[in-house]
Amino acid sequence: MNYTKQIQDIAAKLFTEGKIDVFVGYRMNGFDDNQVPVLITDPQDVSKLVFTDKSVFNLVNYLKTDHTRRKRVGLVVKGCDSRSLNLMLTESQVKRENLYVVGICCEGIVDDSGHKMQNCVECVVPDAVVSDELLGTPSGQKPYMVNVDIAALAAKPLTERTAYFEEVFENCIRCNACRHSCPLCYCAKCCIDQETATLYNGANTTSAAFHALMTWSLHLAGRCVDCRNCEKACPSHLPLHLLHKQNESVIYENFQEHLAGVIPEDRGAFYKYSLKDPDDFIM
Amino acid sequence: MARVGVFVCFCGANIADYVDVPQVVEEVKRIKEVKYAVEYKYMCSDPGQGMIRDAIVQYKLTSIVVAACSPRMHEKTFRKALSDAGMNPYLLEVANIREHSSWVHQKDKKAATEKAMDLCRMAVAKSIANEQLHEISVPVTKRALVIGGGIAGIQAALDIADARIPVVLVEKSSSIGGKMAQLDETFPTLDCAQCILTPKMVDVASHPYIELIPYAEVLELQGFVGNYKVKIKKKASYVNFKTCTGCGACWQKCPVKVPNEYNMGIDKRKAIYTPFPQAVPNKPVIDAEHCTMLQKGKCGICAKVCLPGAIDYQMQDEIIEREIGAVVVATGYDMWDPTPYEEYGVGRFKDIITSLEFERMVSANGPTNGVPQRPSDGKVPKNVVFIKCVGSRDEAKGIEYCSKICCMYTTKHTILLHHKVHDSHAYVFYMDIRAAGKGYEEFVKKAQVDTGTTYLRGRVSKIYKKGDKLMVRGEDAQIGQVVEVEADLVVLATAVSAPKDNPELARLLGISYDKYGYLSEAHPKLRPVETAKAGIFLAGCTQAPKDIPETVSQASACAAKVCGLFAGDTMKKDPMVSTINNEYCSGCQNCVLVCPYGAIVTEEVPMGHGSKELRTVAKINEGVCQGCGSCVAICRSQAINLAGFTDPQIINEIVSI
Repeated sequence: MNYTKQIQDIAAKLFTEGKIDVFVGYRMNGFDDNQVPVLITDPQDVSKLVFTDKSVFNLVNYLKTDHTRRKRVGLVVKGCDSRSLNLMLTESQVKRENLYVVGICCEGIVDDSGHKMQNCVECVVPDAVVSDELLGTPSGQKPYMVNVDIAALAAKPLTERTAYFEEVFENCIRCNACRHSCPLCYCAKCCIDQETATLYNGANTTSAAFHALMTWSLHLAGRCVDCRNCEKACPSHLPLHLLHKQNESVIYENFQEHLAGVIPEDRGAFYKYSLKDPDDFIM
Repeated sequence: MARVGVFVCFCGANIADYVDVPQVVEEVKRIKEVKYAVEYKYMCSDPGQGMIRDAIVQYKLTSIVVAACSPRMHEKTFRKALSDAGMNPYLLEVANIREHSSWVHQKDKKAATEKAMDLCRMAVAKSIANEQLHEISVPVTKRALVIGGGIAGIQAALDIADARIPVVLVEKSSSIGGKMAQLDETFPTLDCAQCILTPKMVDVASHPYIELIPYAEVLELQGFVGNYKVKIKKKASYVNFKTCTGCGACWQKCPVKVPNEYNMGIDKRKAIYTPFPQAVPNKPVIDAEHCTMLQKGKCGICAKVCLPGAIDYQMQDEIIEREIGAVVVATGYDMWDPTPYEEYGVGRFKDIITSLEFERMVSANGPTNGVPQRPSDGKVPKNVVFIKCVGSRDEAKGIEYCSKICCMYTTKHTILLHHKVHDSHAYVFYMDIRAAGKGYEEFVKKAQVDTGTTYLRGRVSKIYKKGDKLMVRGEDAQIGQVVEVEADLVVLATAVSAPKDNPELARLLGISYDKYGYLSEAHPKLRPVETAKAGIFLAGCTQAPKDIPETVSQASACAAKVCGLFAGDTMKKDPMVSTINNEYCSGCQNCVLVCPYGAIVTEEVPMGHGSKELRTVAKINEGVCQGCGSCVAICRSQAINLAGFTDPQIINEIVSI
């Protein structure tokens, strides 16, 4: 998967036609074969743009910054990224007319060891669902599968699972990198930081950190698109996908096979009501 | 520093028998903010309220906790006591230690006492964070919506309109009149139903304050008391009512014949029809399901014979929107389907009919010109068996309740039978004769003597065919023997059941209904016509089975309630409404989506202090907000706070236990 040439051409054309102020893409980081996001405002710099199976980050996150807000933006999105863009559009955070979206029919991203990333193996929607221009050949929606780690955890008894999570999340340093790296965490002031949110305050105890992480994951339940920006940003290497994937599988099972951001204007399982919604938990 | 006063009520024995009230008082006294705590037998009584008023002044209290019954019962009473003492009424907090503790934990006094203490601690903690709030006043739309055009809806509409309040009357079928229009004579005075009903129907049609919308359904109700918006779907009638003169040429020529619902399917009507000759409005509609033109595109006879050209096959459903202030629901009832009574041969034997079918037969404008006939051979029946409580009071096959009107209408039927077929004999199988009502018992007694009807106390176990007769086998409990009666015709007094659309209607109106589908009143004794939702009232059988006098009384009561509601130009409203903190609002508009009252809109505000750039945030219309808290729960940014239930108040409550 290499669309470097096409993306450079598209970006150059958009700048020449005066259609965009800034282009958000990927460039090489300069010291190994990994890539970092880049915001290009000078048409001279389009040659820096690359796109390969190492283009891992979700660039939709950069639509939250001052550099892109109220500007006309060119943007590269993979399947998962496009779903989060869809939600940003639905939740009135960006205006579609300000965007020129280069959609990718993604074949999966590889990690440092050269293997396809787990979320790409389990990917349901590899083709971009929002785009002005689609690169590659669409391969269609794949069958949903439950995450391997969730399946393995579910097999363990409750006490063991609790112990596991308590141990893992003890390492959270409350740096909030996960929040900043998530395109859907765009609130003006996160509820966790508000003065009245006394439940998350105090010392960095496991319970406060865990509480904050649970709140965060529930605010993303039915919205998380499994791009794993949060996990890549976490300096403590917490397995944050466990929280999101657990929510995702419960929602998929109970809310008419809901998948976040695939359908435009679909806000997610918690934000709509259907007569088919399960009510067996009500006495 | 907060100074809280706690007042714990015995509620006579209701609380004191199951909760150790003095111990609760001792416990709350240990909370440092509590400056005064006391118990009393009836806190809601005048001396009880006096204690609160005096303590507020004497102990300089800043908030009050009353531990008593549900706030639904007496919150208003105690708020008033606070205002009388010069305190903001919203500094009151009610701890419900009756419904939430003493009544539900009657077997365990220790646990009930502990729970009462917890509830008090929570209320004290919450009250510390209570803020002064002030009532909001909102304008009222003085127009009422009446759903259902039976006798209940007609009476309610007329009474409201007579008070010069505009009424929108929505009726599902093409004519108003409802079930009463199908009746022949009415108990206990045997007035002709048509004679007393049709003048009222005409009054409705001609009343300057009534807008009659027939052949229509309510689709959506938004807003709140005094300020509802209703969407009404006017079904396509394919006849332009404005140009139609009601001459009848169309239905005389229409070649399609369909079972006539008005006559319980005993005869046929046409595909273009008025339900009965006295219909209001007296304009036909086309039954699209059976019309050849609308189904197959061939025919068009009615359009050819219609001189004013009122037939319009292209007509579409129309959505009508109205702003209203109050709703009267009068959707009536359905007749219960007796199919589960297999041992009676329902469905197998043609000569078993329901009471409403019998009513149509003996009716002067009925399909048999007022003479009862056996459906099997058209002969006039001589021996007629009436079976009461078919479906009613039968937990196994039917419904548990008594349908209330069957005893009386069966008595009426024996009289009507006697009038129409002089040499007939009626048998009535009954469980009890319930004739509570003015002149009812006398009516039953007189009918028994005049008609010579044989009353057999007992249930029928089997009906079988013998030649062209039906053999009705049942028990006569008074002689303790099995009896068999040879019948030409069997009439089943089928139960009254709730309209099958009631649950759906209740959902769209936002009111509750019981397990049978009857709409629920706010209080069975003291608020029998109100629903739990302010501004929505109930009239007639949609609430429970009842006879015509009761239905009419209830409809008039609804009218009085509506008039009372519309007496002033504005309405006072609780200040428990949501507010948006613009700084925190991210403009995702989830709250707009979940608000059941349409109280949230968006507005543009500056990006930051002095900034010219704008961003979108949510805005609450406090006149429309009902304080349900849905927006607070859905808001990820926690930008919304509900006055009276703010985060500090709720967190205080949680932390206190």
